[in-house]
Amino acid sequence: MKEVKKDAANKQNTKATSANDSQYGSVYSRGWNLDFVGKRYYFITISAILIVISLISIFTKGFNFGVEFLGGSELIVETTSNNMTVADVRAKVSDIAPEFKDARILQVQAIGQGEKNTFSIVVTPKDENGVLKTYTADEKVNLTQKVESALGGKVLTFNEVSGDSANEIKNLTWQAVVVTLLAILIYVALRFKFIFGVGAVIALLHDAIITVGMFSLFGVEMNASAIAAVLTLIGYSINDTIVVFDRIREFGKKFKGRDIKVIINDSINSTLTRTLNTGIMTFFTVLMLLIFPTGSIRSFGFGMAIGTVAGAYSTIFIASPIVIRWVKSL
Amino acid sequence: MRSDRVRLIISLVLLVAAIVAMLWPGGRPAQGLGKLFSRIKLGLDLSGGVRLEYKVEVEKSSENSVSVVDDVWTVLRNRLDSAGYTEAVVRKSFRESNSFIEVEIPDATDTTQAEKLVGSTGLLWFGQAIDERSYDPTTNPDDVNLAVRENAQWYPSKDGSAWYLVKKEINNRKDLVLSGPRITQAMPVLDQQGVANYVVSFTLDKAFVDIFKNITKELYVPEQVLNSGTTQYQTAMKKRLAIVLDDKVQFVGFVVSPIEDGKGQIRGNFTFDEAKELAAILRSGALPARLVKTNAQLISPLLGQDVIIQCLYAGLIGTAMVMVYMLAFYGIMGLVADIGIIYALVLLFGFMAGTGSILTLPGIAGIIFTIGTLVDGNVIVNERIKEEIRAGKTTKTAIELSFSHSFWTLFDSNLTTIIAALALYYFGTGTIKGFAITTIVGIFAAMFMNLVFSKVLLDAISGAIRVKKIGGAQK
Repeated sequence: MKEVKKDAANKQNTKATSANDSQYGSVYSRGWNLDFVGKRYYFITISAILIVISLISIFTKGFNFGVEFLGGSELIVETTSNNMTVADVRAKVSDIAPEFKDARILQVQAIGQGEKNTFSIVVTPKDENGVLKTYTADEKVNLTQKVESALGGKVLTFNEVSGDSANEIKNLTWQAVVVTLLAILIYVALRFKFIFGVGAVIALLHDAIITVGMFSLFGVEMNASAIAAVLTLIGYSINDTIVVFDRIREFGKKFKGRDIKVIINDSINSTLTRTLNTGIMTFFTVLMLLIFPTGSIRSFGFGMAIGTVAGAYSTIFIASPIVIRWVKSL
Repeated sequence: MRSDRVRLIISLVLLVAAIVAMLWPGGRPAQGLGKLFSRIKLGLDLSGGVRLEYKVEVEKSSENSVSVVDDVWTVLRNRLDSAGYTEAVVRKSFRESNSFIEVEIPDATDTTQAEKLVGSTGLLWFGQAIDERSYDPTTNPDDVNLAVRENAQWYPSKDGSAWYLVKKEINNRKDLVLSGPRITQAMPVLDQQGVANYVVSFTLDKAFVDIFKNITKELYVPEQVLNSGTTQYQTAMKKRLAIVLDDKVQFVGFVVSPIEDGKGQIRGNFTFDEAKELAAILRSGALPARLVKTNAQLISPLLGQDVIIQCLYAGLIGTAMVMVYMLAFYGIMGLVADIGIIYALVLLFGFMAGTGSILTLPGIAGIIFTIGTLVDGNVIVNERIKEEIRAGKTTKTAIELSFSHSFWTLFDSNLTTIIAALALYYFGTGTIKGFAITTIVGIFAAMFMNLVFSKVLLDAISGAIRVKKIGGAQK
């Protein structure tokens, strides 16, 4: 890997070359000068381990799906009594109807809620044939009253999703993910060299698998907001990657004849401040969405918080380093 | 510079337009700073209310499913209007090969009334009740056979306490079938006989008056027969008029005089609200297709208020952090970006207010995400300016070079986020579309801010830009 090429022909560059030259003889040497390309196998290994952990969790532990994917009914109840636990809630509502016996009950709480205790109760009512059903208007009134009197609180939301609708949302989600990935692959392949399109898509899959894997590992609700996060993350992460590719293209023209590895490494370095700054700022704003709000929107905050870190990592360590072997020209 | 003057004018025009759009009268009543946002329409998940989504089960044989859905829409609109839900929104939507109807009623506090109103097919017909049971006869082979022999069908009563064997062809006469008649008038009327109960009185359209008269003639039973208790009474029991709505028997009774004017009553111990709804359903007619509920959401306005406040904190703290970070990292160029953040947010909110776009909870998430990425363009431009200055360029040239280089970088990178957001808009259901809207609008506002507005400011303050000759971030 130690191919050292000195190209003194570039006048713009000679002036600036200073003490922090890398082993390759840099074309760019102000600011960061880290050896990403040379040490790429370490970073790829770390990613590979995370991906394996994610996949194991996805296929063994699975997801904590939201009601829009499960189908069924979700009641969000705000209780006025303090110190009520999930077990207390379960004990109090289990006799209301047969489907409440195996209801999924979670406590949903956010900063600044103080005294209030809010719980989400998801039930999957079945009809005589064991098929998921929706409640009639009268059944809903009846259930709401029973739950309110059992828990001494108020039903804030009553959401119902039919089995058909849940299946439809699963289909639409797959279509949205596939269409997005394809559109981005086509776009990147048109604007950049095809091999970079491959690198970009590998980086995207890396980000998406790790993010989705963390949803599984930490049991965060997988709902419509989570899917929005994954899709946004795909768009955001490619954005990061493209800035690097753009610089590779520019340096490739400017420093024709230089070693490709040097150009790619320098491109990553020269955009590093930008990658980190944008990543840090986006990370902190989406983190606020994980900390402050209650309910479904936190899944978006969680997904994006993981995603921005994974996205910055893949932009720096994966997207271009992984395809470097196959890059013949820039 | 002349081009800067053009940029400045365009920037200011957009800013003024956005502020005017936000302050235009007619928004929600609000105080203080809240006035700025009073014209932005809130989605149901924030304002509270009822959202119902039904799949329209269009029969395969029907040739034009789009026109069926149009008819469904009209019927529901009429029903909701005549029941007083004028603020309700009824929308058609099509996904894959399926058609859906969405009904949103802001500020409604229970789904029951709305669900009954929308979910009812509203198919009304008149039949002849020839027998009745006090148990479910559809599981009893004898009763099932009886129905087949009589060419009739068992229908439950409204409250489910009794079952009636009802024939559609009165006295087996094919010309005496009255199904889905047009009703010109229907209204709740205080029941003269009952105690504080209501009945629904209706008037049939002229076209159906004759057939209704013939049916009632055919089923007419003189009053003395009813009191006789003889075999005549047994025959009369097979000649009762049944009014069936939504496959439920609403009313069964003797016709004591033929009805010549097409006026009738449906009695069933209705409360005023129930009678009012039934009247609305009768007036607006039957749905041309069956509706199957796919989604129902009831959201308390309390929840929306809580979430708005929580998101406000998240947004304000997020914005403050980004501003401090930019200022700390880029000094005066960071200040430009900070002013830019506020500028872009005003454009975004102005657009939402001006176009009447609906802000949903995922939409707020989109805005907060946008705040994080807004300054990405400034970061790219600022980094480039630093580089060019370090390479020995003058500040002015560095700014020019930076902007000309950064345009395509920003264009490429933002386009991919737009692609993802468009996919979400196209495939997303319900409130999630709101996320796509704010994200896309946010990106355009950010790009304009990055490339036009910031350029003016940077040129104006270019004298004050200082860059350390040896890079700031060293290992």
